[in-house]
Amino acid sequence: MSQSDVLQKRIDSYLAELRRCLGELPPEEVHDILQEIRGHILERAEASGDLTEERLVAILKALGRPEQIAPLYQVDSVVAKARVSLSPRLVMRGIQRWSSVSAWGFVLFVLGVVGYATGFSLMLSAVAKIFSPDKIGAWIHGGSFSIGTTTDPAARDVLGWWLVPVGLAVGVLVVFGTTRLLRWTLRFARIRRPTGQSVVA
Amino acid sequence: MVTKPETDQPDNWERQLKKGWLELAILASLRDESLYGLEILRRLEEGTDLVVAEGTVYPILSRLKAEGLVETKWVEGEAGHPRKYYRLTSAGRSRAAAMARYASGFLGSISRIIAPLLAKGEK
Repeated sequence: MSQSDVLQKRIDSYLAELRRCLGELPPEEVHDILQEIRGHILERAEASGDLTEERLVAILKALGRPEQIAPLYQVDSVVAKARVSLSPRLVMRGIQRWSSVSAWGFVLFVLGVVGYATGFSLMLSAVAKIFSPDKIGAWIHGGSFSIGTTTDPAARDVLGWWLVPVGLAVGVLVVFGTTRLLRWTLRFARIRRPTGQSVVA
Repeated sequence: MVTKPETDQPDNWERQLKKGWLELAILASLRDESLYGLEILRRLEEGTDLVVAEGTVYPILSRLKAEGLVETKWVEGEAGHPRKYYRLTSAGRSRAAAMARYASGFLGSISRIIAPLLAKGEK
């Protein structure tokens, strides 16, 4: 193996290690980071004229070890957890963290509250129908539609017992859909851990 | 912004202190022109000893971008590899100015407070 092959291999293995440590970030971001760090190494190497192995080692050492750099790119751990969770509580915590730094996060937080409230109240109505069939229903009254209780004696229950399976199914779907939608949007939340805290130079 | 002070270690104070200054220095270096990462690093290295590990500058830049303080553009140049250029946004410009005002006032009071420590006789 020639000298330049050896050097190339060193650079490649540094970048491969960095890629491994960046793991959970979206692929396009990983690509950007690797391209930028690669440019840094190449340009430092060119600036040093005749590149020797010692020189390359010094360049990489000045850059820092991949396992030290990569965590600085990682998103906030609450958001990271929310991205892979199916629990509305965890997902909402992630969205809440996002909403503390971004208007988009806030919009999605409101959307999440509405989505989960709708889903859970549908399920609740379905269960309540079993225990209180006369008071709970899917009512049409005066041209408007509501689910739950009604005070309008003229209201007509359009679903009857069907509210139980329909309410449960739609409720579960809405909750699940809200979770998936919010999780998907968290891909775009770029909330970092405070930079620099875990680096040991 | 989310900060978790529980990760602070007593022996980490120097790095913690540098972190904030580094961010200000990066924003300041971009005041007049757009620069790519290594250029920013070189400027910081010329005048300061703020940079601990070079690799820490890139994640900071990435976070500044996430916060909308800088914007980036890949440029295919004569270098043979693309360079990622950073430019201040107007939000970044006003953040840099605000940070500079705060830092300058802060430095004034700190110098007065630490002056006795620097006086002769302190070891």
